[in-house]
Amino acid sequence: MGRVSTAGAGAGGLAFSAEGLGKVYKTGDTEVRALRGVDLAIPTGEILVLLGPSGSGKSTLLNIIGGLDRPTSGKLHYGETELTCLNDADLTRFRRDHVGFIFQFYNLIPSLTAEENVRLVTDIAVDPMPAADALALVGLLDRRDHYPAQLSGGEQQRVAVARAIAKRPSVLLCDEPTGALDSATGIRVLEALAQANRELGTTVVIITHNAGIAAMADRVFRFLDGRIARIEVNAQPAQPSAISW
Amino acid sequence: MRSLDLKLVRDLWHLRGQAIAIALVLAAATATFVMSLGVHRSLAETRDAYYARNHFGDIFVGMTRAPRSVVDRIAAIPGVRRAEGGIQQYATLNFPRRVVPVRALLNAVEPDGPNHLNQVTLRQGRLPRASDPGEVVADEAFAKANGLAVGSQIEALIYGRKQNLRIVGIGLAPNFIYALAPGDIIPDDERFGVFWIGRKALEAATDRTEAINSLSLTLERGASGSDVIHALDSILAPFGGSGAYGRKDHLSHAFLDNELMQLSAMTRVIPPVFLLVAVFLVYIVLGRMIRTERTQIGLIKAFGYSDWAIGRHYLKFALAIALLATVMGTAAGIWMGDAMTRLYAQYYRFPFLYYRISLSVIVAAAALSFAAAALGAIGGVRSAVRLTPAVAMSPPPPPAYRAGTVERLGKAAGFSAIGHMIVRHIARWPGRAVITVSGVALSGGLLFATTQFIDSSRTMIDSFFFRAQRQDLTVTFTEPRNASALYALAQVPGVLRVEPTRAVSVKLSNGKRIERTAIESLPANSQLGLRIDRHGNAVALPASGLMLSSQLASKLAVRIGDRVDVEMLGGRRTQRSLPVASIVDEFVGARAYSSEQTLESITRDASPVGAALVRIDPSARDSILTRLRDAPMILGVTEKAAALVKFRAMIDDNMLTMIAFYVAFASAIAVGVVYNSARILFSERAHELATLRVLGYFRSEVGLVLLGELGLLVAASLPIGCFVGYGMGQLMTAMFSSDLFRLPFAPSRASYGWSSVIVLIAAMTTALTVARRVQKLDMVRVLKGRE
Repeated sequence: MGRVSTAGAGAGGLAFSAEGLGKVYKTGDTEVRALRGVDLAIPTGEILVLLGPSGSGKSTLLNIIGGLDRPTSGKLHYGETELTCLNDADLTRFRRDHVGFIFQFYNLIPSLTAEENVRLVTDIAVDPMPAADALALVGLLDRRDHYPAQLSGGEQQRVAVARAIAKRPSVLLCDEPTGALDSATGIRVLEALAQANRELGTTVVIITHNAGIAAMADRVFRFLDGRIARIEVNAQPAQPSAISW
Repeated sequence: MRSLDLKLVRDLWHLRGQAIAIALVLAAATATFVMSLGVHRSLAETRDAYYARNHFGDIFVGMTRAPRSVVDRIAAIPGVRRAEGGIQQYATLNFPRRVVPVRALLNAVEPDGPNHLNQVTLRQGRLPRASDPGEVVADEAFAKANGLAVGSQIEALIYGRKQNLRIVGIGLAPNFIYALAPGDIIPDDERFGVFWIGRKALEAATDRTEAINSLSLTLERGASGSDVIHALDSILAPFGGSGAYGRKDHLSHAFLDNELMQLSAMTRVIPPVFLLVAVFLVYIVLGRMIRTERTQIGLIKAFGYSDWAIGRHYLKFALAIALLATVMGTAAGIWMGDAMTRLYAQYYRFPFLYYRISLSVIVAAAALSFAAAALGAIGGVRSAVRLTPAVAMSPPPPPAYRAGTVERLGKAAGFSAIGHMIVRHIARWPGRAVITVSGVALSGGLLFATTQFIDSSRTMIDSFFFRAQRQDLTVTFTEPRNASALYALAQVPGVLRVEPTRAVSVKLSNGKRIERTAIESLPANSQLGLRIDRHGNAVALPASGLMLSSQLASKLAVRIGDRVDVEMLGGRRTQRSLPVASIVDEFVGARAYSSEQTLESITRDASPVGAALVRIDPSARDSILTRLRDAPMILGVTEKAAALVKFRAMIDDNMLTMIAFYVAFASAIAVGVVYNSARILFSERAHELATLRVLGYFRSEVGLVLLGELGLLVAASLPIGCFVGYGMGQLMTAMFSSDLFRLPFAPSRASYGWSSVIVLIAAMTTALTVARRVQKLDMVRVLKGRE
């Protein structure tokens, strides 16, 4: 399990906590401050939605949380593990064991069938569910032998969800998961995410432009200019089926 | 157009690694071409100029003894421009501190006379004066090897008489560009030298006043050599003429010709391999480039650029690579050509030999490079021309993957998802896989074809020096002796065995096919001189009839059971018809053999002994050689071990230098092919590789996707490379064979191994350098956008 401990990431605790996270991108002579001192606490088992305009720092935060990127300043903890001081191999190990990713453009491997795309993850995970079960969870078992090019956008994104949940991740990080989908298809994908949260206790973080999706969140972080401008707690999260846009 | 050219420059810079890798392969073609054709031209032109300036003869003949007046009769033969008679006499030189006998061939010169054929070029000093019979000119290579200079004195045994020679000049002549002692197959500058001495002095020393024993002549333009030879032979028949021959049978000329033939064979075989690979590399790289720039192409066309402007743009990309290759290849070719020429200058004695850079060779090499690049570009350029803006600007259809047969087998064998990714990608781009496999296979093939020359020469050495020649020394007598000479040799302490051998010059003919050669005879129970076929087996001499080497048999177009006409050259000039009793597949020379009795039936004498094969106790070598050196009846002693050392040194110098060049070039192919395949693979899969990293695959595991595919292709290419190399090696040994040597094709397992290992190292190092890019994969950026 490398240097990443899961202690404290269990139910009731905090999945992630951060103090003063900052991120500066340097391109040539110009500096872009993507994050300007973010403090946050993400409780385990919640659905969290990050809302905000383009360039407000949501994706940067998500990438740092997922171990794809490093902050320039501040500290980030996953449970009791300080992610900010892990080396590259430990971060990879963290992603492999704990994190499921879902992206706007699915990022499926075109040369692998739906089931094989899921197997990419189950091949290396510690305690995965069978690939077929993951596909069954998103309602795509009958399309297991189809290649991505033979699936609709919504189906591809559901394969991506199946791939992300097959390892039984502690966290699901979703960057605009419905961005390329129509509303009906988008809702099916959100239902799959809610189901993972409900049945596997997975903490789900969703980035979106779409304010409607905030209705299903336990907590909503509103981003502006690299900071969390406001946090809203939703006492009665809605079912995805009740959302529309 | 200027902005498109700016794009061209930037593209070239962006793809510089791939462009340079292709340029390396093309440069190898250019370099080989410039080197081999350049060296060929330098050698041929130097030779021709030397022949012309020093009046090298067209026809040569030896005889026992003829009056000088015969020269005028010969000069009157129609077609003869100029004839000159002379004396050639072997002598032994006394170097008191050396145990090894040193031989010299003395040639008569007219010190103050008219322009001579086979004229001597003086390097230092002057020609001998008629007034001083002891003055000689020594050949440059011999003088250098033995530390002789103008003013040095040597004691010589000429025609049984001791005489002091004083070197007054150092020189060289066109009939001794390649100087071999009789019986030797490799020049030995320390043990054999050519000398020029005043005619009167040599006449006096050899009791040949106003007589000659050799003659050269030049022909009028357009005269028939064979008519003149025929006339010459009938005039000289009464004087023991040993059969006239043209340049092609002149030893020095034949060796040089052999070298030129090999160089031109190399020009024909090797550059095409590189050119072919380069065509394919340009094809795949440009193809990929155009696929990735599809949208840009649409946009540029939408702005109003013509189809042809776009086509020309991509063609220029390929031609720019060819330009780079021409510059690199020409520089490398000149450097190598210069090195090769210096090597040749060690074995071939020219007054001047330097690598001459020929503009026409460079232009031809450049034309080949440009043609190959353009040919490779045709496919890509055509697809760029055909793209319509609307189609180009919409995204390309997603690649259709399918599980193939291999895969269904793989499923049964439990392929991982990564395994499927690798196999399906290969199946998706079969053309590119074929190009990668065949490119690497050609690289391995070329390596194999060149390294097997080491096996080839080893086999030849083993066959010639160890299996056939079992003697330690070959002792040549000043004139044919009887059996008592053998007895005397056998009495020398340390001599273990002595066997007589004899060679008689003959003309063999089958209808219009005529070959000059010698028939060699050995005792029936010989243990020291065996005939060995190419499989390494000893072949017994036939009791009657002739045994021909397979080379000779094929030149005469005869098979076992056919009859050949044998005409003895010199002596009694007897003529007989003899059956071909057997054919032996030998590597060296085109010779004939018979039993002693059969040879006697041709010569009609009681087999005098011309030479003896001697086996000695190695510890007595020095004392035996000293005794032989001082024996007046002995003309020369060839020591097998020394010839072997020389032969191996020549192979090391010449062949290993060549092989080193080709190992570098063949590796360039492997590097060029693998680098381009890897870069294309990486650029196509960057998105997928980043996805794998995000999913939690380690860098090493992600690198495996790249290396796995390349590894599979390289692994597939290795056996194919051995197969290709087998064919190429066979072709090249056949092309490198001549009348003088026939190289055996006898590849060892080590050659298969070495060529595979070198390819593997070149391919895998290259693949690893590309796989290191996985380190720099920017997961975040790649995942932001659609592929």
